[in-house]
Parts: sequence; structure tokens; C-alpha cells
Amino acid sequence: MPCLPVPRRSVLIGLGASLISDRVLAQDGAGLTLAFIPQENPDKLLGDIETITAWLSERMGIPVEGFVTFDHAAAVEALRNGDADISFMGALPFVLAESEIGAEPLLSEVYRGRPTYRGRVFVRRDSGIATLADLRGRSIAFADPISESGYLFPLDEFVQAGLITDAGEAESFFGEVFFAGGYQQAMQAMVGGLVDAAAASQYADLLLTPNQQAEVIWIAESEPIPSHVVIARPGLDPAIKERFTETMLALNEPENRALLAYVYGPDGYTPADAAAFDGVREIARRYGFLS
Amino acid sequence: MRRTFPSGRSFALAAIGALLVLIDAVAAFATPVKQAPWHPVAAAYRTSLFLAGLSPVSWHAVTAAWIEANPGAAFDKPALDLLNASPGGNKASDAIRAALEARERQAVFAAVTRAVADLLLERLGAARSALEDGDASSAIAEARELYRAFEDGIAAADPEASRRLGLAWLTLNSSAGSRGLLGAGARPADAARFEEALATVSEYIAANFDPETFTPRERMAPLPETVVAAGGEVAVPPVLPPAARMADQEPLPRLVLNFEEQGIDETDLPLVAFGDMLFDSAQIFGDPARSLGIACSTCHNRSDVNRDLFIPGISHQPGAVDVDSALFNHVSNDLRDDPIDIPSLRGVRYTAPYGRDGRFASLRDFSRNVIVGEFGGSEPTPFMLDALVAYMLEFDFLPNSKLGSGGLLTDSASPAARRGEALFRRPFAQMDGRACASCHVPSSNFLDRQAHDIGSVSAAYAGAQSGALDTPTLLGARFTAPYFHDGSLPTLASVVDWFDDRYELGMTEGERSDLTAYLEAVGDADEPYEPFDEYNTPFKLAFEELTTFASTLDLLIPRRDAEHASLLIDTVAADLAADASAMSNLEAKSDVYALATILAEVGEAISAADWTAAEARWSEFKETQADVAERMF
Repeated sequence: MPCLPVPRRSVLIGLGASLISDRVLAQDGAGLTLAFIPQENPDKLLGDIETITAWLSERMGIPVEGFVTFDHAAAVEALRNGDADISFMGALPFVLAESEIGAEPLLSEVYRGRPTYRGRVFVRRDSGIATLADLRGRSIAFADPISESGYLFPLDEFVQAGLITDAGEAESFFGEVFFAGGYQQAMQAMVGGLVDAAAASQYADLLLTPNQQAEVIWIAESEPIPSHVVIARPGLDPAIKERFTETMLALNEPENRALLAYVYGPDGYTPADAAAFDGVREIARRYGFLS
Repeated sequence: MRRTFPSGRSFALAAIGALLVLIDAVAAFATPVKQAPWHPVAAAYRTSLFLAGLSPVSWHAVTAAWIEANPGAAFDKPALDLLNASPGGNKASDAIRAALEARERQAVFAAVTRAVADLLLERLGAARSALEDGDASSAIAEARELYRAFEDGIAAADPEASRRLGLAWLTLNSSAGSRGLLGAGARPADAARFEEALATVSEYIAANFDPETFTPRERMAPLPETVVAAGGEVAVPPVLPPAARMADQEPLPRLVLNFEEQGIDETDLPLVAFGDMLFDSAQIFGDPARSLGIACSTCHNRSDVNRDLFIPGISHQPGAVDVDSALFNHVSNDLRDDPIDIPSLRGVRYTAPYGRDGRFASLRDFSRNVIVGEFGGSEPTPFMLDALVAYMLEFDFLPNSKLGSGGLLTDSASPAARRGEALFRRPFAQMDGRACASCHVPSSNFLDRQAHDIGSVSAAYAGAQSGALDTPTLLGARFTAPYFHDGSLPTLASVVDWFDDRYELGMTEGERSDLTAYLEAVGDADEPYEPFDEYNTPFKLAFEELTTFASTLDLLIPRRDAEHASLLIDTVAADLAADASAMSNLEAKSDVYALATILAEVGEAISAADWTAAEARWSEFKETQADVAERMF
């Protein structure tokens, strides 16, 4: 793997006015630094980070700061060189970070009672499409080339069904393949009749209007995929890890639940199970993300 | 917290988490949904077009849409600040300011439309520049968010272009390639496909939203210039601006129906059940309310108040609305910017006369005026008015164990409240020898059915004698803040302070505190909100309500009453399908869709005057409902 650049476009957020001293404290091991991957406008994310780091700091009794990284690579590099202690990540980037730097999963996000979700292939109810084989020669919108539920896992369903042998054959199996840019864009393209199918999270139909939801069915779903995960850099003080994990689990308590909205909005957290990522490791190897 | 929808690399988290915030799509819908947050510039655009389309135009509000952060935007940044920070954005910003200062609708339309188009084209240019580095996706995503400002206008006016552009956006994103993940899984860009798609989008946007001149616009809608210039008639579905909020109040008020508390099943009261349906039906109103999914219950959630309801331009604050403005029925536009705080309808059979100034003696007349006058609906039938009134007459006040018969406090009230009770009944010379209790008569549900001018209404003109307002009940008042007709007082304590100041009552701090405690005790409730849990979910509530509505077909089909049966089915079938989106048990969604389909088929049979088929399908509906009812919760 290539050496990754230091996140020059990172933005530091700390507590109060003493950003520098907090950061020094954190690097000295007396505090904690969190790296956030931008999933939306950084201006908004910065406000969220300020709220959650203030709460964590008060609750843990140590300075906690956060910064927005440019992307996953920058977050992993920050974990590698100690600029960050903790990061929030999807399952695929986590298994890559695990392989690259020995990152450790601490907490998994919970949605609708589970730390997993599935990828699905959706079609319009009136399309007459009932099986994956029916999509031969038709068009499909995947969410993104590095999406677990919006590409890799649904694509693997076509492999499991014996319709293709690998990702390279997708172009010839389908009439046209698009990467729409996200679940919602893929689902809108499908429901709007621009494409015949969409691959997205099992919950992606809820991104449509209620009336559109009634027009959509799914014809295949993947194995469970671990939901997003909070990971630690290798070598982080076990006592800090434990305290951080306990504190984050306190977000499940009714009086703290409102704060979940400031950490990407899951329903809650549960301790991560490293073995639960075996399926992702296997997919990552099969599709060339891991050697 | 508001969330944006997925863009670029970050799709996964966003889409899993953002389950309940739904994007508004091209068409209008019968069921109000929360809109996904907008790009701030697109939000300002849509808001300013909406406001500039009202009459009279509030130029202050139109200006605010650009210089202040928009509550419907994905993040809190004023649109003009974002424009100024973009390359070449100062020019667009100056043009908008000049047009706003000139207070000229066409100039504002042109300036704001060009601003969005220019920024969209600039973002596409940035995407092209970033293509080589495999980093174009974020600029494409932002351009796509800006395109949303025009999307419904294009879809309505130029469907072929809408499809072509939709495919171009897909192609843009697909051909931009991917940097992969930590160096793995990278996909190269396809520059030729990218350029072709970029040209498709750019040329259309430039020609239609940034032309040399815009044809004069009668409607402030984002319609493509080429279509408007050609004189084409375009039916544009009504939309509300991004900051509008019409979804149910959270938490949802508890509905107390007299018959239900006595253990009587609503399905045994078909007139009441039909009225319940009408109360939830947008079909009884005219457009735009009908298309926007606005029903009686939109404002009067569960017989109470929707304190979250907000429509820019006609709400001066959440929970207030100016129903006789330009939006709903231009015929009854009173040309006065006078939104009022939405009143609760709890105990409405005791609260006549109706209207804030008590201008309607009868609930029937008031309801007819709401349907026809305020919301532009067709004349309701006598049966509809009978049903609506029958239903509303069942609205009871919230049970409150702090109050006994005669409106006296019980032992469970606090000592402070009990001291306040004595104050409430104490006559004040400054109030012509009257006490609070003189108008808010405890034994008469804390009202006197009279209008009084207490000095809370600003004179509309010199010498106006138009400040008398109907005495409101105090029951349930803890949950209906803010107070007064215009919602100008935020708390019950501020109401006490207002009377103390206005009438120079000279109350001590302790007395004001005691009186507030009394009002809070009188206005309290044992269970003010619907107690949801794992079994009693919002979906279950909606499903049982809708199937109850449908039960009135047992009355209407034997009567061969096609008019009212069709009205019922138009309301229920669509809402039944729409409410499936709120199900906890997502796997049972298809059962609900099947029920909605059967009900729609009952409607089709009735439309075809095939009553035998209607009866058969209705029987099938009931059998299917019984079969699936338990497993869907």
C-alpha cells in the first residue's frame, strides 16, 4: 500500500480557547483526539464535533478534541502517526485500516436494534423484474464503487447467483452500470425510471417519499454487513480505551440519546466484535481491496 | 440535528442514519413529509421565489432569505455569504442585492435564478478541474444539490429534458472515477463520457436558467426559459419552501375522544368515523392545500395544536398561520399580514363562539368557512358537515387530576397553586372590579363565551374598535404555548406578567409565581402526549385510524353513496400506503400496500357503478385486514 499523506486539509476543533494546549495534552497522552470523516458539509460537522467532544471531555474528565479529516486515507494516516487516537469509519475502510496499521474496533453503531444491515437490489414494483437474472442486459445504479451495501455486497449476490464471476464481468452482464453517488441518488434514478435497478442499503427505500416507497420492491439482499464502527489506533492506552468505550455506551441511556445526533446519528452503540468483520474481510480480498 | 443526504464518499453513514427525513420529490404528495435539507443557496432560491409569489410581497422576508441562514438548509450559512465566497459570486450577489432593493419581482427572479445557475456551472467547472486527480465527486454532488432548485420546474415543463439531464447526472458521477479506498479499488475517470454529460447539463442550464433575458414571469416558479418563451402551458405542482414544516408535532399530542374513553368503538359510530376521516383529509380542500396534503389535523394535531407547523411567509413563528393570505385561496386573501396562533380544539363543544374574535356562533358555520373560504374547497355536503361536527363534538379536554368538578383544584395541586387559586378569584379594581375568574370561569371550563378587548391587540387603524377576542379556555394550556392570539407571550408566567403590567395590579413576585403555578395546574394534564412504545407505534396508530375510516364503507356501500365513498377511498388508500413508511416491521410493508391496492379497487368499482364488485372487494379488504392485522405491528 502506498504511504498516505498527512491530512493538510484537516480542521482542528477543541475546547475553549486553548486549542494548542489541549492538543499538546492529547498528544502527551493526557487527552484524546478523534478523527471524523466528512459525510456532509464540514461547517456543520465542526459544530457537531464541538458538541460531542465537549460532552466526552466533561464525562471522561480529560481534554477531548476532534478534527475533520479529508478522507478515510487521511484518518488512517492520522491514526498511524498518532495525530488521532480514535476514528469513526465504515466496515470496509476499517478492515483496510486494520490490515494497514493494526487499528482495533471498539464500538459498532446500532440501527433498528442491530449492529448490522444488508445491501439490497431494488426495482420498481411494476417493472416485471423478479430475479437478479432478469437484470441481464438492463441498467443498474450502484451507490458508489467503495460502498459495502451499495456496491460490493449486492454485486457479490450476482456472483453467488452464478450470473457473473467477478466485478469485471458486471459491465457485460448489465446493459449499463452507473455509480449514482449515494443511496438516495441510486434509488431516485431507479424509481424515476432512469435505470432498472438500484443497489443500496436495506433502508434506502426510506429515503424515498412514502408514495415512492409503495412503488418499490427488492429482489435480493446480501449477508449482514457490520454497521459503522468506532476504531482506535494501535497502542492507545487500554485504560483510555475502556473509559472512552464506557462513555460512548452511555449515549444509549435515555438522557444522553439526543447526543447521538452529533455522532452521525445512529440509534445507539454496542461493543464491537472483531469477528463480525470476517465477511467484510473476505469481500475486501475478493474484490481487490485487500491482498 | 438535520442531516444532508449522501454525497461523494460519505453515502453509507448518511443513508443508514437518515431514515425519517425524506426528500421532497418532483410531484406534490398527499401526505406531508419532512424535506431533506437543501443546499443553502438552493434553499434561499426556493424561499425567495415562494415569498415573491405571495401577494402582497414581504420584501423584508425575501431579503432575509438571502442574508440569513435558512432553517431548511443543510448547514447554517447565509446564501449570499456562500455566493460571495465562490469564484465570480460577487457579481451574482450584487445583482441580487440590487434587485431586492428595487423591489421588483421580475428582476429578483432573474437575479436569483442566474445566481443559482452560475454557481451550479461553476461547480461543474470545478469538477472538471478535479477530474484528473480523481476528486470530482464532491463538486458534482454540490452541483447536483443546486440543480435540485430547478428540478421540479424542469420535470413539470420539459419531461424529456428532465430524463436526459437525469441520465447526464448519473453519467457525470459514474465517469468521474473513484480514488478508491486507501489506495485500493480506484477507478479511472472516463473524460470523454464526463465531458459529454457535462455539456448536456451545462448547455441546458445556461440556456434555460441563465439566458440573455428572461420572459416576464407571472408565476415565481423555476420553469425553463425555453418552455416559457414558447408560451407553453405548464402545470406546476404546488410546493412549499425548504423551511416549511407540516409534519405532525413531536411529541404527538394525545387525542381524548369522549366515546373512546367510555369504551365505545368508533367503527360503531359511522358518522363520527366519517367525520374523523374528513378531519384528516386534504381532499376536502382546494389546491394548493389539497396537493400539499394539508388537512384540519395538520394544524389541529390530534384535536390540539401543531406547535411545530411553520410555513415561511404565512407563519410569523412556529404554531401560527395566516390562513386568509395569498397562499391558500386568493379569493379570500384579506391582504393583511396577520397570522394567528393556532388554537386548540380540545373541548370545542364548550368553546363557542368560534374564531379568535368569536365571529362564528356555530361550529358548523365555522367549519364550512374553513373548507370553502380559507382553503378553497368545494361546498361540503350536509352529510360531510354533519360528520365533521359530530366528530369534533367528541373532542374532550385532557384529563387532569389536579382539577375536580367546578374547576376547583384538588389535593394533588401544590400549595403555590392553591394560593394562586385564591388570587385568580380576587377582584381587582384595576380590572373594573373583575377577577381573572370573571372571564375564565372555573365552573365553565375557564371561559365565558364572550369577547373582551383586554388591550392585547394593536389597533389596525386610528380609532379602531376591533380588539375584542373570544376568551380562551385555560384547560390544557401548559401544552399550547405560546399564548395570546398572536402567540406573542412565550410562557404562562409571561401572561401573568403581562396582566400585572397592563393593569398595574401591583402583584408581588410571590403572587405572580403563585398565580403562574395555578395556571400551570389548571392547564396541566395527566398524560398530554400519545404514549408510544414498541407495540403502540405511530404506524399502528395511523393504520388503525385509517382502517376505522374505511369501516364507514359498511354504511356507504349499502347506501350506494358513491360521492362520499369515493372521497373516503381517495383519502384512505393513499394515506394507507404512505403510512407504511413509518412501520417498525418493515417486512410487513407489502401487506399494507396490498390492502391499499384492494381499497383502491373498491374505489374503481364504485367509480364504474359496479356495486357488486365493490362489495366483493370490500369484503376481501376486511378479510385481508383481519388476516394481516396482528403480524404487521
